[in-house]
Amino acid sequence: MLINWEAFLHVFVAAIVGAAIVVTFYSVGLRLLVRGGRPPLVSPAEFTDAITVLTDKQKRRAEKAVAKAAKKNPLSDAQKRVSLIGAYLCFAVCAAAVLGALLLILLRH
Amino acid sequence: MESAALIIVLVIALALFFDFTNGFHDTANAMATPIATGALKPKVAVLLAASLNLVGAFLSTEVAKTISGGMIREDQLSPDIFPPIIFAGLIGAITWNMLTWLLGLPSSSSHALFGGLIGATLVGVGASAIDTGVVLSKVILPALIAPLTAGIIAFAVTKIAYGITRRYDMKADGRDGFRWGQIFTSSLVALAHGTNDAQKTMGVITLALITVGWQSTSNPDPQLWVVFACALTIALGTYMGGWRIIRTLGKGLTDVKPAQGFSAETSTAATILASSALGFALSTTQVASGSVIGSGLGRRGSTVRWNTVGRIMIGWVLTLPAAGAVGAAAALIVVWLGGWGVAVDAVIAVVIIMGLFLRSRRDSVTSANAMSEVADSGAAVNVPRKPGPTRRQRRLERDKVGRDA
Repeated sequence: MLINWEAFLHVFVAAIVGAAIVVTFYSVGLRLLVRGGRPPLVSPAEFTDAITVLTDKQKRRAEKAVAKAAKKNPLSDAQKRVSLIGAYLCFAVCAAAVLGALLLILLRH
Repeated sequence: MESAALIIVLVIALALFFDFTNGFHDTANAMATPIATGALKPKVAVLLAASLNLVGAFLSTEVAKTISGGMIREDQLSPDIFPPIIFAGLIGAITWNMLTWLLGLPSSSSHALFGGLIGATLVGVGASAIDTGVVLSKVILPALIAPLTAGIIAFAVTKIAYGITRRYDMKADGRDGFRWGQIFTSSLVALAHGTNDAQKTMGVITLALITVGWQSTSNPDPQLWVVFACALTIALGTYMGGWRIIRTLGKGLTDVKPAQGFSAETSTAATILASSALGFALSTTQVASGSVIGSGLGRRGSTVRWNTVGRIMIGWVLTLPAAGAVGAAAALIVVWLGGWGVAVDAVIAVVIIMGLFLRSRRDSVTSANAMSEVADSGAAVNVPRKPGPTRRQRRLERDKVGRDA
């Protein structure tokens, strides 16, 4: 009975490398978005990553807070622009990694 | 010849029904979180899941080949005996699925399918017809290793996601952006689901076609019409199952945070896609559960509830032999009664399907039960609402106190 242990290792390495690329670049992209003065959405201050469905009133208040924070951003416009370009590049790397993986599966097939 | 054709039609119908229930049941795995977090509108989420399951089914047929050209030794089979045995195996799988659903036990449709087929083959043909090496390396070992792999990966990437986005100055950290990332990762999970689960039914139908000589043994690839039928059925099941879920899914899910959900879904999709490419037939539910547990552990201050983990593990371990026993019982009826046995099995199948239908009409779906076993596995990890400070946060706090003093 022949068990191909190498195949399990391949799956583990491929999956962890793929997942790490996607999560790392996406997270860095989010940080750069914040740095560039465009945080995706302001969360409740108390627990920053809670899943909370905001009412329209809360949303308006949150948007105002974002605008205020953006004004206070100490970075110059050029630095902000570089951060935003970096953020979009990171998101592009995520998309490219997924498309590349799917292409590899198709080519194997 | 006519009776063989009739049995093949029955096998195809039952296999497609199994495919439909698989899509119907598993939509929640992929799409419940983005619906609950508000990342996707329910209608869009369900349509996206159905479409991506359809696309995924065309992406790779390695898993189908594992079933049609590996697990069972076709040269040991007689075209008269084996199709009724596959039929018995499918009945075993569907019966076990229904039983676990009614009793609320954690289970896996995929393992029920393998268990049913293996049990029925053992009784109907004998152990020589099963390629133990392939069963072990492509079904049993992946079943044990894949949830663990997914859990380890989810643990690592959750740490990465939280580490990169952690702020020490109490300013916006951008973690809400993971909510949008979840549209992308849950779509990947739906796609990955199509590459693995739709393939299993394709494999069963192809195996049936090979045993009656309607397809060559040297070519275990599923025929195009089989791929289309299975892809469309699983997509339809996903779409219908989704509607059932979104009817009542509210804001009940608050314990999976966007960063954690994003990491768990990325790990699930990566593990399933890599496994599908190598022909490993996995249980997508188990992989998703492993990821949810791993990502929960990746959060600061979390601890494992071993009782819940034990209950989930027992359900997983039991599925294969239990479905095998039911499949073997259905095969025994065929062996004892011949053609009449198939008729008895067919009646049992109709009763089970009717039971499933009536039960689904009576059963109300709420935000508490819409998430299936994957959400249950979230309860295996205890995550404090306010975890203690990190080492760096403690140091900053100490520095602040020192400065104030």
